[in-house]
Amino acid sequence: MSDTYKAPESLNRLQTAALGIGGIGVIACFAGMYLQPEQALRGWLLGFILWAGIGFGGLGILLLQYLTGGAWGVVIRRIAEACSRTIPILAILFVPILLGVYKLYDWANIYLANLAAPADAPVDKVIAWRGWFMDPNFWVARTVIYFVIFGALAYLLNKWSRQQDTAETPEKAAEFLGIATRVSGPGIIVFVMTVTFASVDWTMTLEPHWFSTIWGFLFVAGWALSCFSFSVAMMAYLSTRAPMDEVLGKRHFHDIGKLMLALVMVWAYFNFSQYLIIWSGNLTEETPFYLVRSKGTWGAIGLFLIFFHFAFPFLILLMQDFKRKAKWLAALAVFIIFMRLVDMYYIIGPSPMVGEANLHLLEVPFRLSVWDVVSPIAIGGIWLWWFIRELKRRPIVPFNDPFFENAIKHGKGH
Amino acid sequence: MAEFDSSTELVAAAERIRDAGYTKTDAFSPFPIHELDKALGIKRSILPYLVFGGGILGLLSGLGLQYFTHVIDYPIIVGGRPYFSLPSFVPPAYELTILLASFAAVLGMLFLNGLPKPYHPVFNVPRFNLAMREKFFLVIEREDPKFDYEETRSLMEDLNAQEVFEVDE
Repeated sequence: MSDTYKAPESLNRLQTAALGIGGIGVIACFAGMYLQPEQALRGWLLGFILWAGIGFGGLGILLLQYLTGGAWGVVIRRIAEACSRTIPILAILFVPILLGVYKLYDWANIYLANLAAPADAPVDKVIAWRGWFMDPNFWVARTVIYFVIFGALAYLLNKWSRQQDTAETPEKAAEFLGIATRVSGPGIIVFVMTVTFASVDWTMTLEPHWFSTIWGFLFVAGWALSCFSFSVAMMAYLSTRAPMDEVLGKRHFHDIGKLMLALVMVWAYFNFSQYLIIWSGNLTEETPFYLVRSKGTWGAIGLFLIFFHFAFPFLILLMQDFKRKAKWLAALAVFIIFMRLVDMYYIIGPSPMVGEANLHLLEVPFRLSVWDVVSPIAIGGIWLWWFIRELKRRPIVPFNDPFFENAIKHGKGH
Repeated sequence: MAEFDSSTELVAAAERIRDAGYTKTDAFSPFPIHELDKALGIKRSILPYLVFGGGILGLLSGLGLQYFTHVIDYPIIVGGRPYFSLPSFVPPAYELTILLASFAAVLGMLFLNGLPKPYHPVFNVPRFNLAMREKFFLVIEREDPKFDYEETRSLMEDLNAQEVFEVDE
């Protein structure tokens, strides 16, 4: 049975190409980190956040589909599992950021300057007030903890899913589904908390004095959207090839299209909430974030996000016929992944460079370094190579799942 | 009106009367049968467009209402903001979008369904109550342009129906 549902051979070519592009790109990025450490590291962070979002998003979707049930969860499960098993490579890809923390984050330098300041000299009060939480060493320790939590959740869910495949009786197989479901409840709470802390540590601290309390949810929704989009593209690719052409039906795409619509809306909702609260509060601690991002080219990118990360996908996904056509949905999904990159660039790009945080700039010139383009491609190549490697290692559907037959029938239905 | 024992028989019969050219038809079953829409030749509902229209109307009236009150009719400075401050207009406009879209959905559904309908002739057939439990019914209305008593009756009897009823108005 497990041989029937092997991943198609044609993935091998994609995998080799991804490794080739990724390998060359990563070497270029390392050269960049030697030549222009700060720009290259910011580009690296951009690429990392985009692809890590798909990887961690895979874990989130895995937890979610165990909790909600449904046919879409059964057919997407192995793709989400393979995404969640990219966490080890993501940990390796994070090493340059760990090593370059002083080159990338201004607060790390401010923290050291505060420590070194004589007793009566002025210090950066915001960073000083946060105390040991802003200690770069503790930041590194927290990052390690995040990877351990994400990794442990992913490991357990993948383990039970694997045991389900080899279960001798249907009752045993159902038991593993039960365990995974029971753990997913508390698991998803731990997941959301960890995403909140991780996204604050990795991206929000780029603006050392600024804060937003909805930041974590922006990433929970954004990463889930990233992963759904990636999974749809993958499923559309698989649905024209054996064995998935027998499994996937237009109704599966319809269901996941609806979830994409919901997440596009949630993303816009959270983002607008953040904007509205800061806009109406009109406080000097909060507004610089949007003041900088609403001027010149940054402002144009902001409008571009409203129209093409929200309005355009939203209106298109309202149409039923669109969601039922795998190819169209996949094309939109790839576009959404691109918009996720633009969104992350809009967050990272205008944030202060090292030494700029205490200038409190209200206008930042547009800056797009070559590394902002190269790194997402490079990390994407490496990530995709690892993803396909993981996808091929297991049957491409959980064929022993008690709801497997039903899920196939659902997809073929009206 | 013809009575059937199973959903598959009903769908097969529906397909036959559709192919025979009847349009004023209807089918009744104890549970939803998705294939029936196609088998009876029922066109896609226009309800989604009504809902979309309701949403657009809600959005525009939400923005319009606020523009009228805050900018034209009674301009007053709140929190030092300009009279026309779009960000604060968004939440009420959004709520009105949802409200009118849901009204369009519910009322449009009722209107398109022809509900509420206090009287329908099919209930004059005593056995029709079984449509709530275990039997499946197919109806061709007299108003159908192709309706011809003899021909329609013989077609219905030819459908492998359990029984064919005449429905009194």
